[in-house]
Amino acid sequence: MVIKVNNLVKRYGDLVALDHLSFEVGEGEVFGLLGPNGSGKTTAINCILSLLKYDKGEIEIFGKPMSPTAYDIKREIGIIMQNVAVFEELTVYENINYFCGLYISDKAERKRLVEEAIDFVGLNDFRKFYPKKLSGGLLRRLNIACGVAHKPKLIILDEPTVAVDPQSRNKILEGIEQLNRQGATIVYTSHYMEEVEQICSRIVILDKGKVIASGTKEELKSMISLGEKITAELFSLPAEKLAMLRKMPGVASAEYSDRLLVVKSEKGKNNLESVLNFLHSENIRYGRIYSELPTLNDVFLEITGKQLRD
Amino acid sequence: MFSHIFITRLKCLLRDRQLVFWTLLFPILLGVFFNMAFSNLNKEETFQAFPIAVVQSDAYQKDTAFRTVLESVSKGSGRIFDLTVAENRQAADKLLAENKIKGYITVGDEIGMTVKNSGLYENILKAFLDSYRHTASSVSTIIKTDPAAVGRGLLNDLGAQKDFTREVPISSAKPDNILNYFYALLAMTCMYGGFWGLKEITDIQANLSPRAARVNVAPVHKLKAFLSGFCAALLIQSAEILVLLAFLMFGLHIDFGTKTVYVVLTALAGGLAGLSLGAFISALIRGGEGIKVAVLLAVSMTGSFLSGMMYGDIKYIIQQHVPILSYLNPVNLLTDAFYSLYYYDTFGRYALNMGLLGVSTFIFCAGTYFIIRRQKYASL
Repeated sequence: MVIKVNNLVKRYGDLVALDHLSFEVGEGEVFGLLGPNGSGKTTAINCILSLLKYDKGEIEIFGKPMSPTAYDIKREIGIIMQNVAVFEELTVYENINYFCGLYISDKAERKRLVEEAIDFVGLNDFRKFYPKKLSGGLLRRLNIACGVAHKPKLIILDEPTVAVDPQSRNKILEGIEQLNRQGATIVYTSHYMEEVEQICSRIVILDKGKVIASGTKEELKSMISLGEKITAELFSLPAEKLAMLRKMPGVASAEYSDRLLVVKSEKGKNNLESVLNFLHSENIRYGRIYSELPTLNDVFLEITGKQLRD
Repeated sequence: MFSHIFITRLKCLLRDRQLVFWTLLFPILLGVFFNMAFSNLNKEETFQAFPIAVVQSDAYQKDTAFRTVLESVSKGSGRIFDLTVAENRQAADKLLAENKIKGYITVGDEIGMTVKNSGLYENILKAFLDSYRHTASSVSTIIKTDPAAVGRGLLNDLGAQKDFTREVPISSAKPDNILNYFYALLAMTCMYGGFWGLKEITDIQANLSPRAARVNVAPVHKLKAFLSGFCAALLIQSAEILVLLAFLMFGLHIDFGTKTVYVVLTALAGGLAGLSLGAFISALIRGGEGIKVAVLLAVSMTGSFLSGMMYGDIKYIIQQHVPILSYLNPVNLLTDAFYSLYYYDTFGRYALNMGLLGVSTFIFCAGTYFIIRRQKYASL
């Protein structure tokens, strides 16, 4: 195991930020910590990194207990903070060189790694720029380069795509996948379920400091009672037709409002064909119609009764 | 690792234009301002001869004793009067009306004076005439009762003055009223080194900045990282103080006395004290960087005020009424150390000030160490 968190409890006064949190991260995984804002993701990361004191529990990294002076462990970790953590007074190159130098003392080796990191995040044209001259997306890329330049075995990314444009976000996600292919174990926290779904091989969903579900995305989706969701644009739908739809086999629910019909299927059922046939047979005119599989948001919604981004 | 962090911190600190302005350019500008504002203070304190007139008359010509005395105090570099002989009273009145003289003397049966205003110069003129009348009257009385006194050197004795107290100089330095302002300026600059210390703490405490958190997760001992940065800050602070001292001494020609080496060493020690004060305040005060800067500014400016930077006499008032405050105020300890280097030939008072400053610096450093040595935080 790369990370083993066992029974972790962290309190801020009366507030329980982490409530007996346990999970493990295996070598080579892209592990996702998913949860709404305030669910305890960053607190968990800061405890794992030994920045925060915690009230109870054990944390092991690479099979050894983690502590502030566990320098042999720290040498193998790269961290990308939620907030951009660079020096305003240093250029792109100097920032990456500085943070890389805290891990790599050999100058020639460091120079090679810094060049690779700049190339990796695509900041070649900006190496002499100061951070305040960079856009939000480029700044995030610099933040990532500072965390991964020393080629760590474990990379922890805490919401690295917050306030980033879609183009930069895709670039960042591609980069994370590339780092994983190169052998790094990734821990990725986010409240964007699409990102976690896209890149994570295993996911833990947190809410109020507790693990509410964990597994692969397929395993998580199979935990809920709903299956496919069909959405159709209809000009009108009489109430008796809606009632007929609700009675169709395999349909869990059907709602019509604002000219949108949403039919939710029971777990494992696919109703697109039968719904289309029904609309044809009943001579109901429709516009766009599409089908979606359940998302992690549906998982979160079913378990907690609220949206992930609430 | 030390050199890597040290060089990077040097770059970070030197590229912080705001900090460089407040810690170097601002004191230089203040020094120029002080020099412009106070350069005439010492000149004004030295006595300047002032113009008077004596009205020409037969009586004046015949009174050789008075004429000799008046002419003797109206010539040479130590003269009291710039004497003009007016042809008559009308001419003297005209000079007085045109403010060309402060007053004029008439010699007749009596020696009289005419002035237009009352003030320092008019009082000096009156005191001179009173003194002359008093001496002339004494001589006249002595000669009447003992004519042989003239033969025993009465007239020589008149010019001889005997002191009944003995003056023991504590220094060969000449008094300078404006030096205190420059001492306070130097001390303030030393305390402004606290900004460097403050920045170093902000960049090493994980609960103060994300970049510090990143440094904390790196495999580097926290104190090692801090000491590397602190040394960089100390180097910059020392360089700035030397630049300021050089500017004051060679640019503005401020005379800090003959013990230049001690002045430089004192300023450098003051820089270390300022740096450690800033680090201590930053480590101690919870809250954002703005609050820390405000506290540091308040401490250094209050200290500067109490040591006489804005009002020279406050230093003596504090020393007289609340002496403990002057020993607790690092700015005052520094200004007083500079002061004692200039005015005293002995090192007793200087050593006391530097000793207390050393104790303060030790307390600031120890306090900072105890606060920043923790490696985990309750919250970030």
